[in-house]
Amino acid sequence: MSATGNASPTGAADAVGNSVVVTGLGFVSSIGNDRATVTASLRALRHGLEPYPPFEDPRTPVKLTGTIKGFDTTSFDPEDWTWPADYKIKRDVLRGLPPHGLYAYCAVQQALADARLTPAEISNPRAGMFTASAGSVSMLHHNMTRMFASGVMRCSPMGVVNSVVGTLSFNLVAAFKILGASCGFASACASSGHALGYARDEIALGRQDRMLVVGGEDGNLEAILPFAGMRALSPSADPALASCPFDRRRSGFVGTGGAAVLVLENEALARARGADIYARFRSWGQASDGYSPAISHPEGQGLSASMTHCLAAGAAAPADVDYINAHATSTPIGDRSEILAIKRVFGDAPRTAVSSTKGLTGHGLSMASVLEAAICCLALRDQFIPGNAHLREPDPDAAGLALPTLTRDAPADSPLRLALSNSSGFGGANVSLLFERA
Amino acid sequence: MNPPTQTLTQDEDNALRESLKRCSAETIEAAIEYRRTRDAALANTIVIGILARFLEPEQRAKLAGDADHLRLMDDLGVDSLTMVEVVMLVEEVLVIHIENEELRNLRTLGDVKAYVNAVARGLPPPAPPVQLDVAQIADAMPQQPPFLFLQTAELRASEARGTFPLTGDPVTGEGFFPQGHFKDRPVFPASLQLEALGQLGVLLLLKGGVEGVAGEVDPNTIFFTSCNGVRCTRVCRPGDTLTLSLRPKRVKHPVAVFEGTVTVNGEKAAFAEEITLTFDYKKAVPATATADSGANGANVANGASPAAEASAADANA
Repeated sequence: MSATGNASPTGAADAVGNSVVVTGLGFVSSIGNDRATVTASLRALRHGLEPYPPFEDPRTPVKLTGTIKGFDTTSFDPEDWTWPADYKIKRDVLRGLPPHGLYAYCAVQQALADARLTPAEISNPRAGMFTASAGSVSMLHHNMTRMFASGVMRCSPMGVVNSVVGTLSFNLVAAFKILGASCGFASACASSGHALGYARDEIALGRQDRMLVVGGEDGNLEAILPFAGMRALSPSADPALASCPFDRRRSGFVGTGGAAVLVLENEALARARGADIYARFRSWGQASDGYSPAISHPEGQGLSASMTHCLAAGAAAPADVDYINAHATSTPIGDRSEILAIKRVFGDAPRTAVSSTKGLTGHGLSMASVLEAAICCLALRDQFIPGNAHLREPDPDAAGLALPTLTRDAPADSPLRLALSNSSGFGGANVSLLFERA
Repeated sequence: MNPPTQTLTQDEDNALRESLKRCSAETIEAAIEYRRTRDAALANTIVIGILARFLEPEQRAKLAGDADHLRLMDDLGVDSLTMVEVVMLVEEVLVIHIENEELRNLRTLGDVKAYVNAVARGLPPPAPPVQLDVAQIADAMPQQPPFLFLQTAELRASEARGTFPLTGDPVTGEGFFPQGHFKDRPVFPASLQLEALGQLGVLLLLKGGVEGVAGEVDPNTIFFTSCNGVRCTRVCRPGDTLTLSLRPKRVKHPVAVFEGTVTVNGEKAAFAEEITLTFDYKKAVPATATADSGANGANVANGASPAAEASAADANA
């Protein structure tokens, strides 16, 4: 019925429902805090990775993160935080936020301005918000430490709301007075992909006219360093080596935080109000590995099924797809698994260009999917294909795949029309999203 | 009374300054002085300073001057979570404990100050306000509808608040006030606004536990005597809801003097510097006469007709 990836056995299109378009973007990311800066970083392959002061301890085996510039959220007291002066935040909003709540609040404001939507146009029963975040480990840790040291009655009354999974929804749905559908998604690094897919369904099925999809991550020590325990982080202090998806020398990912926002709208209504349209959100699909809680399926089985479902739902053939924004995080096992998945669906030497923008941004975990969907929307609107930053020695398994090392404009005679974005999370959750030039 | 002056260690001083870092310098100094001397007279300054720190900047100006009647939630925008933040900081700075159940009774700034003052002095907290609905009011009052101008009342020893919506009968919508006394121009006359304040005074004497009232007041002994310094500044029309506020200025049997204000949506409608009532206590043996006028020298009119009608009506014309 819906376009959730349940393709019919014949592979026929599941074209039921309203067409959905993207009309606004918001970014607080390691490569820029607005659309223009992010676009410039993508075009120039300017990465956002830096030595992260809390990792300076020599015993810490990791050195870099994708840092957020222009914000300071190091204190556990939100009233100590600083942020760019363009954003006005009242204390009763601020006090319940985790660090990524601040990023997300600003990114939502940015996306609404970008979409030229008024507060009333998103505060009505026809407009909803889906969010994706893993919660705030640092806030949780701080709250627990205080509780055990001083007793629960000396803890902040916002200590639950500012930390547990769901914190983004609690805070933003209230702050923006959302009256329609709202829900938080937690499927690790596929979270914001699920949020996007189900938000698309809300509009396609006619339940909502507009959906804000928000992904956020703290990107601080508590959020990132635990991944070193699973040997998933790159130990390299050299950005060119630390995040180099599809490169033979890759050694793990570089974590990042921030927030990204997409405004989705019913296409007919968006056109009626004269909105600028970035791209059409054509379809999505999902499938699971059923294999390991933490390791990708070695053959990329779930991810290939997810891409197949997405293409079938969007009535697109693999050969129609011009660009794949890969999930590839620069881990040895994960990138290989995605290479095999792409080859299984697209063939051994497809025309489709493949790149992972995590070489520039780092891996944004729960927010990665919405950040990369936003990057696909920029690419479709401005007609460019982002390159693979730091790719010098392609993995031999990737032979045959078109892995551009530089960002290039789409040729006039062969425009960028369809872009597919992949995301994979713990538990073998895989989501694929298909965007179309509008 | 106060314990001997203590010296704060540098750590204690630093911790206090850190906790109060977003409060005014005056608040911080008062807190340090309080911790040295435990002088409960400083509690008000500290509490107001802490509250101000949690208010949105545009609300802070309201705390200047006489602000005891301001309601935390409706007038100052303090929600229950902010209240918890305020309480935690007040507890920490004043080294007191505030019971959760008692928080619910702290509705106005005056409540908070009275409560904290009592706790800081080691006294029992003040009694919570008495809330009365229209039926309870009608039951207690000597007046009867339709000449009863109170719909709800909240009584404290220090203040009475009431509301009266200028609507007709809740069921039929009919009644005197939708129609009014001016031809084709219905208003609620200023004389009756003063009457409503007077009635709130009657209720406060009967139910409020006002300081200076030493026994059970006989409802049939309360009379209006005078009204001074009345100013009426806003015409009240059907659809408005009057908010009445009355504070005892001097109460000593048999005379009670109040200051009263009528507002509509925060806009001042009428103000009386002094509304004076006389009252007497219930006799052990039920009296047959309505008034034991031994104490009332003058010109006593029944609490229904304020003498200030002329000046009030002028203002409303």
